[in-house]
Amino acid sequence: MTSGTITGGPALRDPHTPDSRLGHGADYLHAEHTLRSWFFTTDHKRIALLYLASITAFFVIGAVTAGLVRLALVVPDGQVFTNDTYNKLFTIHGVVMVWFFLIPSIPATFGNFLIPLMIGARDLAFPKLNLASWYVFMTGALFTLASVVLGGVDTGWTFYTPLSTAFSNTWVVPALIGVTIVGFSSILTGLNFVVTIHTMRAPGMTWFRLPIFVWTHYATSLIFLLATPVITVALILLIAERAFHIGVFDPAYGGDPVLFQHLFWFYSHPAVYIMVLPGMGVISEIVPAFAQKKLFGYKFVAYAAIGLASVTFFVWGHHMFVNGQSDFASVAFSVLSFAVAVPSAVKVYNWTATIHKGSLKLDTPMLYAMGYIGLFVLGGLTGLYLATLAINQHVHATYFVVAHFHYIMVGGTVLAFLGGLHFWWPKITGRMYIEAWGRISAFLIFIGFNVTFFPQFILGYLGMPRRYHVYPPEFQFLNILSSAGSTILAVGYLFPMVYLVYSIWFGKRAPANPWDARGLEWTVPSPPPSHNFLTEPVAPKVPYDYPLQAQETGRQHS
Amino acid sequence: MSAGATDAPVGVKLVSHFATVEQQKRAAVLGMWAWLLTELLLFAGLFLTALILRLLHPEAVQAAARHLKVWIGATNTVVLIGSSLTMSGAIQLSRLGWQRGMVRFMLATAALGTLFLMLKGYEYYADYHEHMMPFLSDRPYALKDSPPSRLFVNLYYVATGLHGLHLMTGITLLLVMTWQASRPGFLAQHQNRIEIFGLYWHFIDLIWIIAFPTLYVLNR
Amino acid sequence: MFGTHDERRILWRHMREPVLTACALLAMLGINVALGATLPFPHVWIVELLVAGAMVVTILLVSMEVRHEPPLVKLFAGIGFFWVGILFAMTLVDYLSRG
Repeated sequence: MTSGTITGGPALRDPHTPDSRLGHGADYLHAEHTLRSWFFTTDHKRIALLYLASITAFFVIGAVTAGLVRLALVVPDGQVFTNDTYNKLFTIHGVVMVWFFLIPSIPATFGNFLIPLMIGARDLAFPKLNLASWYVFMTGALFTLASVVLGGVDTGWTFYTPLSTAFSNTWVVPALIGVTIVGFSSILTGLNFVVTIHTMRAPGMTWFRLPIFVWTHYATSLIFLLATPVITVALILLIAERAFHIGVFDPAYGGDPVLFQHLFWFYSHPAVYIMVLPGMGVISEIVPAFAQKKLFGYKFVAYAAIGLASVTFFVWGHHMFVNGQSDFASVAFSVLSFAVAVPSAVKVYNWTATIHKGSLKLDTPMLYAMGYIGLFVLGGLTGLYLATLAINQHVHATYFVVAHFHYIMVGGTVLAFLGGLHFWWPKITGRMYIEAWGRISAFLIFIGFNVTFFPQFILGYLGMPRRYHVYPPEFQFLNILSSAGSTILAVGYLFPMVYLVYSIWFGKRAPANPWDARGLEWTVPSPPPSHNFLTEPVAPKVPYDYPLQAQETGRQHS
Repeated sequence: MSAGATDAPVGVKLVSHFATVEQQKRAAVLGMWAWLLTELLLFAGLFLTALILRLLHPEAVQAAARHLKVWIGATNTVVLIGSSLTMSGAIQLSRLGWQRGMVRFMLATAALGTLFLMLKGYEYYADYHEHMMPFLSDRPYALKDSPPSRLFVNLYYVATGLHGLHLMTGITLLLVMTWQASRPGFLAQHQNRIEIFGLYWHFIDLIWIIAFPTLYVLNR
Repeated sequence: MFGTHDERRILWRHMREPVLTACALLAMLGINVALGATLPFPHVWIVELLVAGAMVVTILLVSMEVRHEPPLVKLFAGIGFFWVGILFAMTLVDYLSRG
């Protein structure tokens, strides 16, 4: 790239005008007010908000069904719902949370909003494609919601054959079509990010000057591109199986249901990193800002992101230890799975080393980030238990697994999402929320989460299987504890929905950089102007140029 | 008539969010390659399924593969190789600014693509006649003594159907683009669209180059 | 349609490579179809696979002009095949070792 000069488009404003003087109409939120200007926008920041609104709605659907599942599990005899209703509830919870919240959550909102700002670009490489991805997403959502309204699906989010093809009498096909379509929106988002990060960086913005957030989104986008098509084709085969009985997954004709699981997990295991990597990016931005300290081991963290995105493609078979895959394959997948711990641990050590001797400010985003680190460690370490063949035999398909992946998905991704939301909220909306409420919500969510999910480790270890709502009475105490925790969690979730929305109208106006953070996104006014940069962005010489810095080489003095 | 007489200036118009035309062109090429990555992995799932069927049921897959019409498949491969040639021609002429010749090459490409689909349609029709459509529940299946052969034949329909869908999309895009490209000034503003579309067209050809031996030849 | 001598010469200069590529592809296709029709020796599929691979490489490098592209595009053209390799290899680890 030879020049970052902005040519064409509306004339630039005088860069010396102070933020406060720009007034309304200057920023992307107030540039236009019509519905058309939102639904046909190609501004990456507005598209991010379209996504934010939609995934919040899906989060509510997923959370309500989770609440109903926990309600059912308060009593051991399964009297709250019929078996069918219970099956449909946990299926809706899984499908909606995985495909309509977790996967698009951070990339489609913060990724969309921040990547061009962080790399010093005016927009993503393909703005129309970006808008199209949202419409594709909503189309897929429509199909899936239709399947729920028509009567629901009872296969679980994994759609395993032969249950999904031969036995289920529910609305599987619309749900499958919905999930297939949503895959394309991921692909389009990933494609846009990959091309943007490669070609749209401002002059001087070399790879090792990029924030880790951009690195992790690059890694995530590669997974979007390389993994999603395989589940698309698996779901197409599943739809054909259900509609025409083509038989490739049907043992009655000599087909192999395990093949579906191979194709399914070739995507769905890397999908874990689609959910986790962007969260790691968020944490890598928050931690240095609130420790006022340079991110420890920047290059290691960057390489670890790419490492995770690659290693994750070699381990999918650890979801299939008890399904009839060969013993040799199980051993191979088990051994490879342990390798995932290495880049994950690199990240955790680097965050803790960044916090070490930092000048800490425990504001809301930092509270979420610290919660994230703790819960991610617990979720990650229990993942090692599950990768061990012998232990896996014992706890397979029990609540131990449920607890493990909720520590990663909720303790990891949701906390990172909320942390990021609080961190960039002033930038996105131009308003400050009330800090005290933010801290209360962070504590409530951390406590509620642990009370909900820690008992499930014990339940699973004692042998309570997932996906049943009838269980032996001796498990009732732990189940009630878990359900009680989920109500605390629900209150914790409600808080931000109230005080953040309140802040949009009544919050204090936010300065350009309320956290004294580094990164190009903090150099523009809050909220940013429609075309992002009033003056040509200047890439920082070093990323995370905070006042404090650890000595990375040689002995640590003092 | 002379094609040289219609020499047009060749170039790409800058879209405002890019800094330079060079950057814009690089983004477009990379974007198409990223899309083609996903296409490759999409079809790879089907090829993998074919391989697994072959490993699980070698005789049945051989029996099924011998029933496929290898000569129609081979002819269709020739047609697609020809369409790749005309597409390359369109790209070459677009670089020269020979707009009229380019449009003709594009029309020829679309025609060859359509010919492929017609031959494919005829092949399906012949398959139907020979009772080689096991997914039709009310029609007896020719190889009913070999239940696993159904799986390979059905997979053949999924794979060729998906490829046909891609080709149909390609033809539609190509015709729309031909219509745009026949207007004066197109090459001065959007020459790279021809190149980007060319990548897609060649790749659909490439997928068929893999699909043809996988389905028709290797398992005989 | 290309009237003058000069135009025909320019045209041929630019079309020589695509035409030769198409000829090469047709020749390789011919080999594969002949092998498939006659099955001259056991395990002929190995040869057929190699020929098909050569066709794929030809299209990538010549028709799609990957050889003239910068390293980044070369990487993107190759990485998909590498990932297909992962998909096939790790799945076969299961199927080839089933008792």
